Amino acid sequence: MTLGKLVFKNLTRRRGRFVFTLLGIIIGMGSFVAFMSLGGSLKSQIERESAALGANLVVTPKGSCAYEQVAILTGEQLPTTITAEEVAAIRSIPGMRAIPYLAERSAIENRPVSVMGILPAETKEIKGWKLSAGSYFPTETTEGAVLGAVLAEQFALAPGSEVRIRGEMIPVLGVLSETGGKDDLTVFLAMPLAQRLYKQKNTVSYVAVRVDRIDEVDLYALKIKEKVSLGVVSDKQMLGSVLSIVGTVNVTLQLIAAVAILAAAFGIVNTMMTATYERKREIGILQAMGAPRSTIFRLFLLESAIYGLLGGIGGAVLGFAASIVAAPYISQNAATSFVKGSQASIDPVMLIGAVLFSTLVAMVSGLYPAWKASKLSPVEAISYE
Amino acid sequence: MSDAIIKTVQLTKEYGRGATLTRALRGVDLEIPRGSFTCIIGPSGHGKSTLMHLIGGLDRPSGGSVIIDGQQISSLSEKGLAALRASKIGFVFQFFNLLQSLTAAENIETALMLAGVPEAKQKPRALELLELVGLSEKADSKPGQLSGGQQQRVAIARALANDPPVLLMDEPTGNLDSAAEAEVMAVLEELNKKGKTVILVTHSSEIAARAGNLVRVRDGQIEAA
Ligand SMILES: Nc1ncnc2c1ncn2[C@@H]1O[C@H](COP(=O)(O)OP(=O)(O)OP(=O)(O)O)[C@@H](O)[C@H]1O
Ligand SMILES: [Mg+2]
Repeated sequence: MTLGKLVFKNLTRRRGRFVFTLLGIIIGMGSFVAFMSLGGSLKSQIERESAALGANLVVTPKGSCAYEQVAILTGEQLPTTITAEEVAAIRSIPGMRAIPYLAERSAIENRPVSVMGILPAETKEIKGWKLSAGSYFPTETTEGAVLGAVLAEQFALAPGSEVRIRGEMIPVLGVLSETGGKDDLTVFLAMPLAQRLYKQKNTVSYVAVRVDRIDEVDLYALKIKEKVSLGVVSDKQMLGSVLSIVGTVNVTLQLIAAVAILAAAFGIVNTMMTATYERKREIGILQAMGAPRSTIFRLFLLESAIYGLLGGIGGAVLGFAASIVAAPYISQNAATSFVKGSQASIDPVMLIGAVLFSTLVAMVSGLYPAWKASKLSPVEAISYE
Repeated sequence: MSDAIIKTVQLTKEYGRGATLTRALRGVDLEIPRGSFTCIIGPSGHGKSTLMHLIGGLDRPSGGSVIIDGQQISSLSEKGLAALRASKIGFVFQFFNLLQSLTAAENIETALMLAGVPEAKQKPRALELLELVGLSEKADSKPGQLSGGQQQRVAIARALANDPPVLLMDEPTGNLDSAAEAEVMAVLEELNKKGKTVILVTHSSEIAARAGNLVRVRDGQIEAA
């Protein structure tokens, strides 16, 4: 017999209670891990999108707020109010490159996809795109579509097939190499075709600006504002405000998970308190056999620690599984659509952290019951029937 | 008899205070000879169990002193007292002596573990002890699968685990029929012959008649024989 074996025998003597207490911890830790891992991949995805935009400044419609900034990074539909004259004025400023985008949505096989109107040559250069199949827009006005890699695969589209957008069959010209970002899930059209399909007379959603001298980015923001009456944000501001929204969502989710963990912790307290009452006489017998208080304390503390250990492992597995399964399904919402197509990554540090955290929580929960058990006087315990 | 394994001097024990004050022991002077078979008898509620708990170091006296194998227990810490119980005393109570989730052998192994016997040496010793009480074939039975008499014999085997010089038993046969009682008594007399000091509380005049040393407790005091 070892203390560890004795703990395991005690742990499993009430199977039902053991399972239900453990489930509480697994669910609490599982939701915590799932939210953490979703939040973590969301954040890195946003950072990747911001980099993929290849811009230092973004010109948005007047009065746009954080929602539009999120939409730019996620590829949501945006109000299209920036006129051709405004675009031309911005593009006339020397020392920077300005590229307009028209951000729209369409559906393929009833699943929503992003549709982007672009300036083919310039966008390709700025984004550093490569083709994996077919050819790219031969001219700035070619009536065809170039597809993101994941989208092409999802809907089994290849050069030569057609894709229906706004009721019109558009020939697929080519497929881009995978970028790891939302471009993989986007249909790209040359600007004139996009504007015609979406009935936007020469208007665009936003303009991405890359300045030649990054240290003068504020100066260029002012220059743009002098020329046109539109909103200008730097990529850092945009990243900051989007991350803070995502952060708020994350914190909220994690608070919910924390409540679940707290409830599970009280489940452990409850189970262990019940165990100390049930085993009152056995505690007395152990004391009569010569077990010091410290041994009784350890016996009970270890028992609750094991709930945390097993619950942490189970919760980590469940949480990661849930985040992998859930990721593609929660993509309809602007704030979470980054996760779409991306795998929730399994972070070993987080896994170990979750198990340690859960064990710690369980041990703290077990402190009071273990202390109560160890404080029993032998005679009181032995007289209990 | 100068060689007393257990000695008490003006031992008192009070429970509660004020209106609920119970003076369970009122000045007990007792010497239990080493190697004796001692029976403690007396009416119910007169302090027999209290006396057992005190001389086994399970509880501390309100006054007076207990000396176990030359050691004054009032000077011991909680830890020291637990260590003393592990090495010097084997307890057997009236019922529910065994840890219910463990087999007979595991119950004994747990006592060995508490005395610091390494795991590898526990099993052979446990089987040896079960054989001593004639229960080798019940090694893997849980308490619920044993009869009352068998449970008490396992409890005795466990009490012997660390080869303590003293066996303290509070009505070990109180819940048994006469056949089971005879089995248990046979084991105890055998152990006593091998040199163990056996102290047992009993309500049975038959058992008391076989005792080499009889202690009568009445009203928290020792009655002259
Ligand atoms: N924990 C306690 N708190 C208060 N009073 C107690 C406690 N334990 C025992 N007593 C009282 O002390 C007295 C002696 O009790 P004890 O258990 O020693 O009697 P006993 O001789 O063993 O009786 P029995 O033969 O019925 O087992 C009784 O009056 C009992 O009510
Ligand atoms: Mg009694």
